[in-house]
Amino acid sequence: MMRSKFDAQLELLNKEMILMGAQCENAIAMSAKAVTGRDLSLTSSIFSLADRMDEKEREIESLCLKLLLQQQPVAKDLRTISSALKMVTDMERIGHQSADIAEILETADMEIHGDIQEVHDMAVAVIHMVAESIDAFVKKDVSMAEAVIAADDVVDACFDRIRKLLMEQFSLPETDGEQTMDLLMITKYFERIGDHAVNIAKWVVFSITGERGI
Amino acid sequence: MTKRICRSIFFVAMAVFLSSVVLIMGVLYGYFSNIQQRQLRMQLELAAQGVTHEGSAYFQDLKMQDCRITWISADGTVLFDSDVHSADMENHWEREEIREALATGYGESRRYSATLTERSLYVAQRLKNGTVLRLSLAQSSILTLVLSMAQPICVVFLLAVILSVILAVRLSKSIVHPLNEMDLEHPLSNRGYDELAPFLRRIDSQQQQLQEQKRKLEQKQTELDTITGSMSEGMLLLNEQGKIISINPAAMELLGAGQDPIGTDIVTVSRNLDLQDILSQTLQGNSEVQVVSLETGRYQISASPIFSEEKVVGAALCFFDVTEREKAEQMRREFTANVSHELKTPLHSISGYAELLKNGLVKSKDIIPFAGKIYAEAQRMVRLVDDTISLSRLDEGAADMQRTQVDLYELAEKAVDTLEAEAKAANVTVSLWGEHYNLYGIPQLLYSIVYNLCDNAIKYNREGGKVAIHIEKKSNTILLSVRDTGIGIPTDEQERIFERFYRVDKSRSKEVGGTGLGLSIVKHAVRLHSGEVELHSVPGEGTTITVRLNAV
Repeated sequence: MMRSKFDAQLELLNKEMILMGAQCENAIAMSAKAVTGRDLSLTSSIFSLADRMDEKEREIESLCLKLLLQQQPVAKDLRTISSALKMVTDMERIGHQSADIAEILETADMEIHGDIQEVHDMAVAVIHMVAESIDAFVKKDVSMAEAVIAADDVVDACFDRIRKLLMEQFSLPETDGEQTMDLLMITKYFERIGDHAVNIAKWVVFSITGERGI
Repeated sequence: MTKRICRSIFFVAMAVFLSSVVLIMGVLYGYFSNIQQRQLRMQLELAAQGVTHEGSAYFQDLKMQDCRITWISADGTVLFDSDVHSADMENHWEREEIREALATGYGESRRYSATLTERSLYVAQRLKNGTVLRLSLAQSSILTLVLSMAQPICVVFLLAVILSVILAVRLSKSIVHPLNEMDLEHPLSNRGYDELAPFLRRIDSQQQQLQEQKRKLEQKQTELDTITGSMSEGMLLLNEQGKIISINPAAMELLGAGQDPIGTDIVTVSRNLDLQDILSQTLQGNSEVQVVSLETGRYQISASPIFSEEKVVGAALCFFDVTEREKAEQMRREFTANVSHELKTPLHSISGYAELLKNGLVKSKDIIPFAGKIYAEAQRMVRLVDDTISLSRLDEGAADMQRTQVDLYELAEKAVDTLEAEAKAANVTVSLWGEHYNLYGIPQLLYSIVYNLCDNAIKYNREGGKVAIHIEKKSNTILLSVRDTGIGIPTDEQERIFERFYRVDKSRSKEVGGTGLGLSIVKHAVRLHSGEVELHSVPGEGTTITVRLNAV
């Protein structure tokens, strides 16, 4: 009887985590679209989504704490709940950084040229990472999570390339310094989101195997 | 069952054993008592004879073993006793047997000793001299008898217990065995107990009913699966927790579900937030209809809650693919916008020129060119409206147009004649060769095919260019090809030029004065004749458009 209630609560936690993951995916996809498609109409929905994610984070946190207190879980259940607690933080950060990107787009009158393709590639890679990390959580798939961890190098390389490009641009006399800076910030946010996806993937691995990688 | 059979057999055995012991003891005891009594009577008779003859001398050498003999005077005083000294004994007048003997000449009685372990038999006889002679025999009571026989009884009892247990176990096993071995899958094949036959027949008929019901259920399930499996709309049934109860292949495909998603939560299959919103609304009891973008396209989702006893127990979702419909709607919207735009442009010119004329701002020598411009723009509008009308008729399927035998070559000649002036103005030479072939079709439409293709070939040509129209027949198809040496169409635009109002170069179009509907008309007209249009174009070199039509 007790156990079946506990199972139902764990299932609810799993479902809520997946939903928050879906929100993550949506947030990053929308902000990437806002950047590369120059679609400023999306920003307001990104902000509201980030707020909803805050709410969801608190919900999941209180659910986790309730489970920890009332059920005193051990072994795998404990790992699941504690990694969920850590994962929501990363998910919430992804939502916030997506909102930060949207904010930059709103305040700065961006006229991005040339390197938009590079940024687009990076955005696609990051969206893929986030989606894969959530998928790994849904399917409880260690190899998928490990693939996400490995994919971080690609995103980092992308970031380095864009940084170099922007540096070259910066030295040209006709470039608008503010724009270049904004673009650098945006790519940095993308890079951070990639790191959060890696964190999520690591917690997925931990919750399944109980091993914490480096 | 086995236990109960065992127990009852055991109890029966015990009951039989105990009752037989009791009966045997009782009967035997009574029998032996009688014998003893008879013997005692006989001995008393003999002793009485002896005492009558010899008097007290009879007792002198008397050796009594089991019996005790007592001689009592008529007043009850004991004259002799073989066991106890007679002087110590009380008066025996009160004794039942003595009294009886004194009264009737013979008396009998039996008495239990104080401990109940012994019983004494007394027989008394009155002698001729009035004295009474009594013989008594101590007899062990039935209790002592039973107690003394305790050992053999116990042995027999144990034997009975063991035997009855063994027998009970074996018997119950042999009773139960056929029951256990019964094949309930085929109840009528059992040979065991006739008593069970009605029961087995009942089972058999119920089994057949079950089988029939199962078959019907399976049939229904197959029907349902076939229906949902073959429909192109997605069908999804969820329980109140959002777990998938049933999903058809179309829904699996459009949601991107993996193998066997039944029983899993819908969020593990699709993380689309719009879908989740619809679902949470539905599970609160509201029906929803919404268009949602999924990975595979745009879908109209109609979701309705499933109620059972006023409670939501699940949700049924239907997915309709509206990708094509939305595209068509978009095209229609664009068409309307384009038509009004295209109509507005010449109207602006016309109204501008007319305004100048009205206000008398035009010099008399300019009136004719102004009127010419108004006329040209008006003509363009007429052409546009004509084209739009013919297109809309084509959309309706050209139902009111008559099909007849048509010579395509003649039609082409007519078109070339009509366009001669235009060709001359553009400095383009038009050549036509080929042979006369008949085909069955709508003359106006076939003419407009040739006309529009030639018109385009002339318009989008370069100065001093060429247009070659060729008609030939290959097996059963007539090929009409129009080749020009014009500007060509870029590869990525080639797909779109058959769309209404689509133009590769917007600025040039105004110059050449087309309506943007020509190729669209060609496409529709060819389709109505179940033919095909083929486009081959190299930018800067020229375009060849080939139309394939069925010959008669």
